[in-house]
Amino acid sequence: MTIQEYFSLVFSDYTLRTITLGTTILGAVTGMLGSFAVLRKQSLLGDAISHAALPGIAIAFLITGAKDSNTLLLGALVSGLIGTFWIRGIITKTHLKSDTALGLILSLFFGFGMLLLTFIQKQPNANQAGLDKYLFGQAATLVESDVWMMVIVTGICLFVLLLFWKEFKILLFDKDYAKTLGFNTKTIDILITSFIVLAIVLGLQTVGVVLMSAMLLAPAAAARQWTNSLATMVFLAAIFGAFSGVFGTAISASQNNLSTGPVIVLVAAVFVFISFVFSPSRGLLFKQIRFIKNRRDLQLHKTLSFMYDIAITHDNISHPHEIKILNNFQGYTKGTLKKLVEKNYVTLDGSTWSLTNEGFESALNLYNQLTKNDE
Amino acid sequence: MNSAQLEIQLIASLVAVACAIPGTFLVLRKMAMISDAISHSILPGIVVGFFITQDLNSPLLIVLAALTGVITVVLVEYIQKTGLVKEDTAIGLVFPVLFSIGVLMIAKRANDIHLDIDAVLVGELALAPFDRLIISGVDVGPKSLWIIGSILIITIILLIAFFKELKLSTFDKGLAASLGFSPVIIHYGLMTVSSVTTVGAFDAVGAILVVALMIAPSATAYLLTTDLKKMLLLSIIFGVFSAISGYWFAHWLDASIAGSITTMLGFLFLMVYLFAPSKGVIAVLYREKQQRTEVSLLTFLLHLKNHDEVQERHVNHLNEHINWQKVRSKTVLDLALKNNMIIIDNHIVSLTSKGDEFTTQAIDYIITNEDAQIEDMKDDFFLFRG
Repeated sequence: MTIQEYFSLVFSDYTLRTITLGTTILGAVTGMLGSFAVLRKQSLLGDAISHAALPGIAIAFLITGAKDSNTLLLGALVSGLIGTFWIRGIITKTHLKSDTALGLILSLFFGFGMLLLTFIQKQPNANQAGLDKYLFGQAATLVESDVWMMVIVTGICLFVLLLFWKEFKILLFDKDYAKTLGFNTKTIDILITSFIVLAIVLGLQTVGVVLMSAMLLAPAAAARQWTNSLATMVFLAAIFGAFSGVFGTAISASQNNLSTGPVIVLVAAVFVFISFVFSPSRGLLFKQIRFIKNRRDLQLHKTLSFMYDIAITHDNISHPHEIKILNNFQGYTKGTLKKLVEKNYVTLDGSTWSLTNEGFESALNLYNQLTKNDE
Repeated sequence: MNSAQLEIQLIASLVAVACAIPGTFLVLRKMAMISDAISHSILPGIVVGFFITQDLNSPLLIVLAALTGVITVVLVEYIQKTGLVKEDTAIGLVFPVLFSIGVLMIAKRANDIHLDIDAVLVGELALAPFDRLIISGVDVGPKSLWIIGSILIITIILLIAFFKELKLSTFDKGLAASLGFSPVIIHYGLMTVSSVTTVGAFDAVGAILVVALMIAPSATAYLLTTDLKKMLLLSIIFGVFSAISGYWFAHWLDASIAGSITTMLGFLFLMVYLFAPSKGVIAVLYREKQQRTEVSLLTFLLHLKNHDEVQERHVNHLNEHINWQKVRSKTVLDLALKNNMIIIDNHIVSLTSKGDEFTTQAIDYIITNEDAQIEDMKDDFFLFRG
């Protein structure tokens, strides 16, 4: 199947439509909530939570014996929340730092989950196959009820987000101020963290435990580069996430043997890369261009001020001088000389240059400005 | 116990020791999550190495994977340096991308390679004794044992040779740099050792257990001591203990050995986290409660000192005036009585000379902004703590 075929089939084919809808909604909701994780410097929390969810899935299966994805995700949610609050406990109650706490919970819960999974596999009832899809995710197993579940959760997230927008925002940027204004920062904090956990758990079936954190981070990190406003960032992150979902599904459907999760992550990474390089205000490309431009301006000023120093030793400022003198001066290039002529600061006459009145004036001011800045 | 079981336990213990040494420094340098990132991102290195050699135990695999590990660190640091995102976001972006590339490479060539992603994550320790190293026809033991053994020996040599430098640059980067030890070299040295250990251990115990073995024993030890040498020793002991007890636990449950070792580590950490003598949660909570009562006591004594009027010093009045609950004011009153700070005469509370002296000194410290001194002073005055 080629990508064109995919797009013509996506509206008619049930499986493709379900999967695409699922990944799109998932991308949007993780992007939205991921913005908060990134801004709160909790980027790796997502990684820890998604790993911490694994034992929950296994225990839910052990208790109910059913593979109903909603039950399993409920287990994942509970164990994700336990992990999150234990991380908090470690950070606030002991002197262990947040990275240690995250790494600890991540690896310990995951290891425990693997123990349970292997334990389940050895059980006599053969119903257990397919639990390991939660490791790397399998978008192909999405059914319509899963998508409805995602829609409902996204709806709730959106509603709560809009309802507590002001509180979330103020907590994000100035926690102490929020406290002095009388907001219950603890409750808001728990609310927002729980929603992040919820979004992660929702994605486990599609993207899997290992790669879920990227779904949370990548759209938000990309969106952050284009704007300084929270609302725009959340909106953009949702769009980036949704598009990663669509394109990732399209690419993985059009090739054999490409799992959806990793492809979605890679598409999201492409968004991040483009944003890092091409964003107008923060991007590396424009930063470099600005840097070069500033350096050129500085060279121009240096050359001009060097000329000024020579010209001022003569009675007539427009007294012609050899271009050669400039050769042993570092800021000088042919390009800067041409620019100076363009700006009408200098006139050229064969192999000599002379400062114009205008050039003299601006060099004088340049000097004044510099001394002023020095003060 | 047969020889295969013995060998498995030996390999697991060696891995535990080899992980605990770099792990201790990673935890102290607040770089624990880097080890997680490395453990995931070495996957493409392993896959490429496997494509070239078709052998999971070839040294080229270790070299390539360690290289990918170092590339991860460099990439993370580069992204962080651009200032576009914070360090943790940079880590969170780099390793899933590299891991995805690895997964896709495996998926594309699934038919002609025997490399299971699950095995990379959790390893198959139970199979380690079956892959023997045979030198000129003589069976000298499992390959994994030799690989992890040599990595461990190199790690120990490096640790002994550079212990001073590592210690200095971990606790005081500025001083280390000014004394001429390059922090960059030590940083990348440590990163390389971590990568090599991760790779060497992955096919025996899997990537996640490597992370657990690096972070958990060190973090557990860090809750018990603040001495670097003791911390190293303790984390090695915890690691080896979990490795061996984890093996028998798995044996009993008939489940994954790696998962079981991690569970043991988790159990150890939970115990220490709860019950560590001075840094455990219970100790911390107890201390917080004690301090709360003592601060209340101080407030109460200051109130008494400020008021000579009888009605201000009536027992019942205190409840309303300082706004305490009944139980709380009773605790504080009892504590003050026990310490001979006050006497209660016909429901009127007054300071004893000892209480008066204590309060005067406390006020002195508060006025001169040396509140910390009050803690030391308490030892001189208090017979009973809150």
